Order: sequence, then C-alpha cells, then structure tokens
Amino acid sequence: MITVTINEKEITLEKPITVLEAARSAGISIPTLCYHPALERYGGCRLCLVEVEKMPRLQTACTLMTADGMIVRTETDAIAGVRRGILEFLLINHPLDCPYCDKAGECELQDLVEKYGPTTGRFKEKKRKMPESLEDAIIVRNMERCIVCTRCVRMCEGVQGASAIAVMERGGHSHIEPFSGGKYDCEYCGNCISVCPVGAIMSRMHRHSYRPWQMTDQVETICPYCGVGCTVTAQVRDDAIKRIIPKLGSPVNNGLLCSRGRFGYEFVGNRDRLTRPLIRKNGVLEESTWEEAIHRVTQKLGEIKEKYGSSSVAGIASPRCTNEDNYVFQKFMRVTIGTHNIDSTARTGYAGAQQFIENIFGQGATANIISGISRSDVVFVVGGDPTTVNPILGLQIRACSRKGGAVLTLGKVSGLRYFSPHALDPASFTETVLLEGIVTELKNRKELSGSHSSLESNIKDIAVSVEDVIKECKIREDDFHSFITLLSEASNPVLIIGKEIIQSNGASYKLLLLSAINYLINGRIYLLSERANEQGLLDMGCASDLLPGSRPVEVAELRRRYERAWHVTLPDKPGLTLFEMIHGAKEGSVRAMYVMGENPLFNLPNSENVKEALGNLDFLVVQDLFMTETAESADVVLPALSWAEKEGTFTNMERRIQKLRKVISRAGKEDWRIISDVSGNMGVSFPYDSAEDVFAEISKVSPLHRDLTYDDIEEGEALWPFKGEPLRGGMEISCNKGDGATESGKYFLAIDRPLFHSGTLSRKSSALMRLCPEAVARISSTTAAELSVTDGDSIRISTRIGSLSLPVFIDEAYDGSLIKVSNNFRGKGVFSLMEYSLDPVLKSPCMDNVIIEIEKSDRHVQRDPKNDSEVKK
Amino acid sequence: MLNETAIKELQEIRSKYPSARSALLPAIYVAQREFGWLSEEAYEAVSEVLGVPKAIARGVGAFYAMYKHRPMGRNIIQLCTNVSCMILGAERLADYLKSHYGLVPGGTTEDGRFSLVIMECIGACGTAPAMLVNDEFYENLSEQYIEEILAKFT
Ligand code: SF4
Ligand code: SF4
Ligand code: SF4
Ligand code: FES
Ligand code: FES
Repeated sequence: MITVTINEKEITLEKPITVLEAARSAGISIPTLCYHPALERYGGCRLCLVEVEKMPRLQTACTLMTADGMIVRTETDAIAGVRRGILEFLLINHPLDCPYCDKAGECELQDLVEKYGPTTGRFKEKKRKMPESLEDAIIVRNMERCIVCTRCVRMCEGVQGASAIAVMERGGHSHIEPFSGGKYDCEYCGNCISVCPVGAIMSRMHRHSYRPWQMTDQVETICPYCGVGCTVTAQVRDDAIKRIIPKLGSPVNNGLLCSRGRFGYEFVGNRDRLTRPLIRKNGVLEESTWEEAIHRVTQKLGEIKEKYGSSSVAGIASPRCTNEDNYVFQKFMRVTIGTHNIDSTARTGYAGAQQFIENIFGQGATANIISGISRSDVVFVVGGDPTTVNPILGLQIRACSRKGGAVLTLGKVSGLRYFSPHALDPASFTETVLLEGIVTELKNRKELSGSHSSLESNIKDIAVSVEDVIKECKIREDDFHSFITLLSEASNPVLIIGKEIIQSNGASYKLLLLSAINYLINGRIYLLSERANEQGLLDMGCASDLLPGSRPVEVAELRRRYERAWHVTLPDKPGLTLFEMIHGAKEGSVRAMYVMGENPLFNLPNSENVKEALGNLDFLVVQDLFMTETAESADVVLPALSWAEKEGTFTNMERRIQKLRKVISRAGKEDWRIISDVSGNMGVSFPYDSAEDVFAEISKVSPLHRDLTYDDIEEGEALWPFKGEPLRGGMEISCNKGDGATESGKYFLAIDRPLFHSGTLSRKSSALMRLCPEAVARISSTTAAELSVTDGDSIRISTRIGSLSLPVFIDEAYDGSLIKVSNNFRGKGVFSLMEYSLDPVLKSPCMDNVIIEIEKSDRHVQRDPKNDSEVKK
Repeated sequence: MLNETAIKELQEIRSKYPSARSALLPAIYVAQREFGWLSEEAYEAVSEVLGVPKAIARGVGAFYAMYKHRPMGRNIIQLCTNVSCMILGAERLADYLKSHYGLVPGGTTEDGRFSLVIMECIGACGTAPAMLVNDEFYENLSEQYIEEILAKFT
C-alpha cells in the first residue's frame, strides 16, 4: 500500500503509478500535452510540472512514480507561472490560426491556453514558416502548428510499429515528417491523427467540412471490414458520416484503427448505391417497385421449387451482413424453401479450417482473445501476413515482439520484418515436410500427455529426420533448431493461421500438423478472418452442414430442436456447399440461386466458370448495395441497407458478439426484412419487427446463444462461450495429404491481400481508392531483374484459363518467385486466372499451384484516381 | 545502391553495436561518403543493410548539422568564424574565398570542386584562424596559404 497526499488529499494506492495517474484517479486535474494514455511516457512538454516536498525542483507528474509518504501540490503560484511560461513559449511559433483550423474546438493547446495561458505574447520575432503540406492523398500536415510533443511519432513507432514518421532537424526547426518529406507512403492507420493534440496532422477526408461542435450525432458501432471487429465511433452531420474515430478503452482495438476502418466508410454515401429494386425485362434490368420485385421473386422461386424440388434452389449468405440477416436467410432456405443448400464464401477457407480444428479440440478452440497475443511469449505465424489481413491483430504481434516475445514465421512476412522475426522460409511446396519436421522434433522433446488419444495416434505416425527437412526445405540447420527450441520452451504460445496455408494443396494434412504442433506446445489458435461477420455467419447456420449454433445437420437428435422451433421437418442430409452449388448450376441440378450481399462471380476462383454456371440458372436474385458483377447478371436485384443504416450484431473472430448501431437513416430495407417479405409472400410468415426480435429467436433456437439478449451484448457480456453449450472435440480425424504433385513452373500465382482493400466493397470508398487505385502484379526485385522490368512496366500474366495485363509493383520487402495479384479491382481480379482443386476434407479450394506464363507488355499509364469510375460521391 | 565493399563495411559497423539503431551514426557517414550526400537513396541503403526503418534513419541523420543534407562539392571547406578566428581575420578570409573562388557560405563552386560551410569553433583557437578541408586541419591561415592549400584539391 502506498499513501500519497496530493493537494492535502490523501490517496491510497495498491501499486505504484505515476503522480499524474494518481491525481487523475482522485479527480485532481493536471494539464498535460505530451502525455497520452496509449503511449509510452515521455516527459517532454513540462506542462505537468508539480511541486513535491523534499524534491529540489518541480517534477513532471506524467513520469514521476508515486512513493509512500509523498506530498504533492499541483496548484501553486510557482506552477501557474511555469505553465504560463511554457504555453507562451509554445505560442512563439504556433500560428494561432484557430478560425481556419479544423482542430479548433477539440484542440488541447487551445483549451490549455484558454485556461492557463497568457493572453498576449511578448515575442516580437517572426514566427517560423512551413507551408501546409497537401502532397499526401489522405493526411494533411501543417508543421507550423506542431508543438513537437512527439505523440504521433511515439504512436507510429511504439504502437503501430510502422515507424513511418520521425522528428526531423532540431531546436526551433524541429518538425515531423514522413521519410519522403511529402507523401506518407505508410500504413495509413491514421492513429497519429488521433493522438495529435493540435491541428498539425489531420485527415483530408472531412477537411473544412465540419467542426467538432457541429456534428449532429455520434454513434458507437463496429467496423464493417474484417473479423477483428473493432469498435468505431461514427460522427455524423446532416445524415452523412463525416468521420470515423476509435475510442480509448474499447474492447479489441482500444483506441486504435487501421486504414480500412478509419478511412473506408465512404461506400455508405457513394452515389452508385442501388436505390430501387430492378427486374430483368427483355434482357435488361429495369427499375421497379418493391411489390413487383418481391412478387417476381416469390413466383419464380415457387415455380422452380414446385417443378424441380427444394434442392434445386441454393442460397449464398454474406459475411458482411449481420447475424440477424444471416439467421433469417438460412431459416428462409431451410423452412420456406426446404433445403440445406445454404453456404457462403467462408467455405473458401475459414469454415473448413475452423471445423477441422474444432473437431480435434472442441468448439471454440479458435475463440481466443486478441489482446492476449501481446502477452504471449511466442507467436507462430503461418499462412499470410496478419498485419494486412487483420491489422489490429497484427499490432498485437508487434507488441508481443516489443515486449520481448519471439515472433516465428513460416515464410517471410513483410509486415513483421522489423520485429526480429525468426523466419523459416522453406523452398516452394515443402511446407508439409517442414511442419512434419517440427512435429517430429517437438515430440522428441516433449512428453505426450495422453489427453487426446486420436490426435496422439496421428502424432506417433509422423517422423521425418532433421537431415531430410534441411535438405528438402533448403533451410539452415541452426535456424531450424533455434525455431524448435523457441517453440518447445514457450510457456504461453499462440499459433496464428492464415488462408494461404488453408488454400494450399494438402491443406487438411497441414492443419493436422499445425494442430499437432499446437497440442505439443499447448498453444492457442487464431484463425485470420477477412470479413467482419464470417464467424457469425457460421454460428447462425449459414453452412450446408451446420444448423444455428453450429450443430451438424445429420444428427437427428440435434436436428429435432430446430424442427420443433420452426415447426418443420428438415432434410436429414447436408445441402450443397458453395462449390457444389456452382457445379450444380453448371450442370443443371441447381436452377435458382438467392445471393445476399456477396459477389460470387468475382469473389470465387475461376470466375469465368462461375459466370457460366450462374448464366445457366433459370433465376438469380441478388441483394446488395451496389451493382456488382453478380448483380449485373441477376434476374432481380434488391437494394439493401448498409452496415451504417441498420441495427444488428456481428460476431468477431474471437467469437465476441458486438452490437451494430444505426448511424444514419436511409429509405430501404434490411436484408432480413427483405427476406422476411419474400418468405411471407411464399406463405411462411416470419414474425419479426426489428433486429432485436430476430435475435430473441436466435437465443431461443441456437444452443450456443441460449438466453443471450441485446442487453447482455450492450454490456459487453457476449464473450465465448456466452451462456451456451459448446460441442466437445476429440472426433475421429480424417485428412488428406494432397497429391503432392506440383507443377514445375518458374513462377507461381498467389493472392495478394492488400491492406487498403477488402473484397469489392472498398473500391467504392474514395480514400481507399486513392491509397491503392489499381491492380498491380506484386513481384520481388529478383523476379523484376529476371524479367527485366522496372516500376511502371506492365506484364501480361497468362494461365490456362485467362490472362491479365498489369503494371508491376516491385516490393522490396518481399522475395521469392511468387507473383501476387489482388482480387479487388473490376476486370482485374486474380480469381479470373485461378484454377483450383477442392480439398476433400475441408471442401475449400487449393490454389497454390497455379503456374503462369509471363511476358512484358506495353508500358503502363498511371490511372488518375480522381477520374476513377468506381468512386462517385 | 551500395557496392559490395560498402555493404560489408556497414555490416561490420553493425556488428560492433548491440542494436542496429546504435550503429546509425557511423553507418550514415559511410552512406554519405558513397552517395556524396544524404540523399533518399543513401538513407534507404542504410535502412536496408541495418534493418532500421528508413524514416528513423533519416530522423537520426537530420538531427546533426555536420552531415551533408544537400548535394555538396567534392571537397568541403569548413571555415571557423567564431571569436578567436574572427579577431584574427576569418571574415577577411571568407571574403577572399568569395572573391577568388566564388564561394559563399553554404554555397558550392560552379565546377563542383568546393563547398563552404561556416563553423562555430573547431577547437583551434590557439592557432586561429583555422579551417578544415574534408578531414584535415589547417591553421594560422592567410590568403596566400589558403590558395596553396586549395591547389592540392581537385
Ligand atoms: S498513419 Fe499510421 S503508419 Fe502512417 S504515419 Fe500515421 S501512425 Fe504512422
Ligand atoms: S504533429 Fe502533432 S502529435 Fe506530432 S509532434 Fe506535432 S503536435 Fe505532437
Ligand atoms: S482491424 Fe479489421 S475491424 Fe479493425 S479497423 Fe481494421 S478492418 Fe476494421
Ligand atoms: S505531460 Fe508531462 S511532460 Fe508533457
Ligand atoms: S574560434 Fe575558430 S577555432 Fe575556436
């Protein structure tokens, strides 16, 4: 126990904290500028000076730790004088252009000067001149206003880990600059903007369009982009989102955001949004009324169901839609149509991998808290770059490294290159041997605990010698051994698994090896998730083999619960998975498809094949925000409300259920409401008036969500395993080693997952388009040299099924012979080139063996992002 | 890009320090020598070899006035004009550099042979006036002596 006295008030503390924190905890305010709770202590601005008895000079409260018996005063004449002096000094160069500055109203300097500062300055000299820099597309920098508190630099380096900006020069010339002096060329998380106390670095997005006091509303909701599920605060003026900011203390992201979350919201107000239902008449999509459109859907689905049976209809659900939307959709397919033909793009990796891992370790094996990563001592990353797929999770890995934890990666991970990674970079197509080698070595060093007999019997069969691993994978023996040592001695390790490994040949066997490693080191598994509600959609039963609460369809005892709740008899066999649906459409067994918030024609590999399949349907309904590639070929297109315009819940990759709140209003219907209308018209009425009604049913029907209410969720009490009953693991393990065949091409095609984009939604957001305006072929400098191309050149990439011409982007942080292309830009998606085979266990596509031919093509003319047809506001 | 020898030199410097960042100052000197001044390429080269983010490398370099932050002539004259040197005629010498070589403080001769930097005391007060040309000291300067010295540099 420590007792300190601050301004005659006695404060008792459990453990030593700073004088500033102690004072604030007791309601005593001390002015600060360089202090920020999210940042390392700095003690630079001297504004927080206090008097401490028995200490000779004034002390900075933000750095001084409390000690028992300390007597502190925060408001004396001497202190007041010093504060005034410091502020007067800061104003020597500060331009005081508050009337013109967007920060006015929420500027810490303005507030402090108003409260403590001098009303006039005594300096006669001229102020320093540094013109405002508008060279960057997103961040505007005004260094005349900078007070060099270094909060932005400490944020960028110490928290974000991007180290993109630094204090340049010194003394009165000190200012903050990105490396190039103009463009930031950084991760564009905007977290530096959040912490700048003045208007020195700001977002250009809402520049001069509103002041903090002019916002009409401020709503806390969840980011629509990835599976991390960051809390965001959306600020609104005149029913338009003006700004998205994070909130200190929020779960998961605690005051931080990534580029997509902060700058990607503009799709909401994009004028390309669909506003009215469209019906195809004489081959053309024409505007119609809701009544007519819903009537058409009802009539066509009814006809087809009547004629070809329920199983000729299939539905694709959306990882961007809420739990409520997805629940209603699967219920519609199962109850109204009468089929388990409901699936989603989670099938391209996440779903199969999660099921595989849960079969071994039990339901919820991947439901681990993201903030726990920074507290672990070893992080093993496999199958992708977490810093681009799930940026805020990526920060946790960086934090772990900063705290002395070891970062192990399979292959090089460019977002972790400054975090002393121990990388094992095996030769192409030798990951399996390497993983087998790791399992072999770990099991030699560790006892098998006997707690999981089926997994252990698999582990016992795995044996490869170190020599073979070294030889085949072409790695250094030392590296391998230090890797094993770190893994085997870890006390609190985590394993992070990304899609690249799930979408490779023999994926299920690799997952078995990873599970074995996890078992041997007693780790926790995190599955990277690219979409905000990928987990929720699975938990809602939008999978051909799973009912809400992830209960397998074929177990009659489990099925009965749903049959009772919905008053139907459900088919006793699973429905078609995503890829089986495409196949079925192609060969004619699937006749109608209902697609909610998904773009399969673009988002699935071998898009030409998907196009052909969908073209073959008798009837295609698409429910979406925009005229996507898939909507263009639909028979009926129904406009939906976006994430910002509705209530509902998302379940993130930790399986935390969080509340989405309506930010702005817009005429239209939520996805669940449109589907309810269709269902009602088909004779099965759904009794919901609000998303909350839907959730009330979910919490009755799903054994996982039992008794959960919106109130519980609002209170943050919806963490795994809720109040529900998870299924246990320990099931029989079956896996597939793949055919082991690899074509011996020189270059292979891989999927680029850029930080600034996500599916096809981000291309409707002008800020993200400015950051990453067009598709590129990302190649290493070695490849560039071999092809004799430089930045600005284009190459033509051809596979057996298509070809694309793309400008090259030489990525210095990346080496190898893979050519990476993203799947975000219209007409330029990597999936148009990708053939795949399905993993027989996971039912997900393997796409790591796409051999390509490359030739140099015409020089590329940079596209002007300002004239971008994708972005209209 | 840096040549093999320079890369080796940087790696050697790196090995003498406990962390990459502590090796920045000497490493930046090497890059400056190789590139002539601290251009973006110079910092990028340091960043690449040491594995330190490039903005950090530039931030460290930018703090110090003695690095070359602008392109400079092949030889750098650092002339002291602080008290002792001033009393013993440094300003006259500066005028001489201007009239005979066209060199103004901070400037470079047209042929790129010399740049002139004015210094605040180079620790040669007892033998003032004094200057440095590149890494060498010259004391007790006069106009004629300067001419002799500069003739040695091309
Ligand atoms: S936006 Fe993020 S990465 Fe870029 S400078 Fe700011 S903090 Fe650093
Ligand atoms: S830009 Fe803002 S946060 Fe960064 S040092 Fe200047 S005042 Fe502080
Ligand atoms: S990490 Fe994911 S959830 Fe968080 S802000 Fe970024 S995209 Fe949104
Ligand atoms: S807040 Fe304590 S020194 Fe800046
Ligand atoms: S004053 Fe010139 S060397 Fe000291």
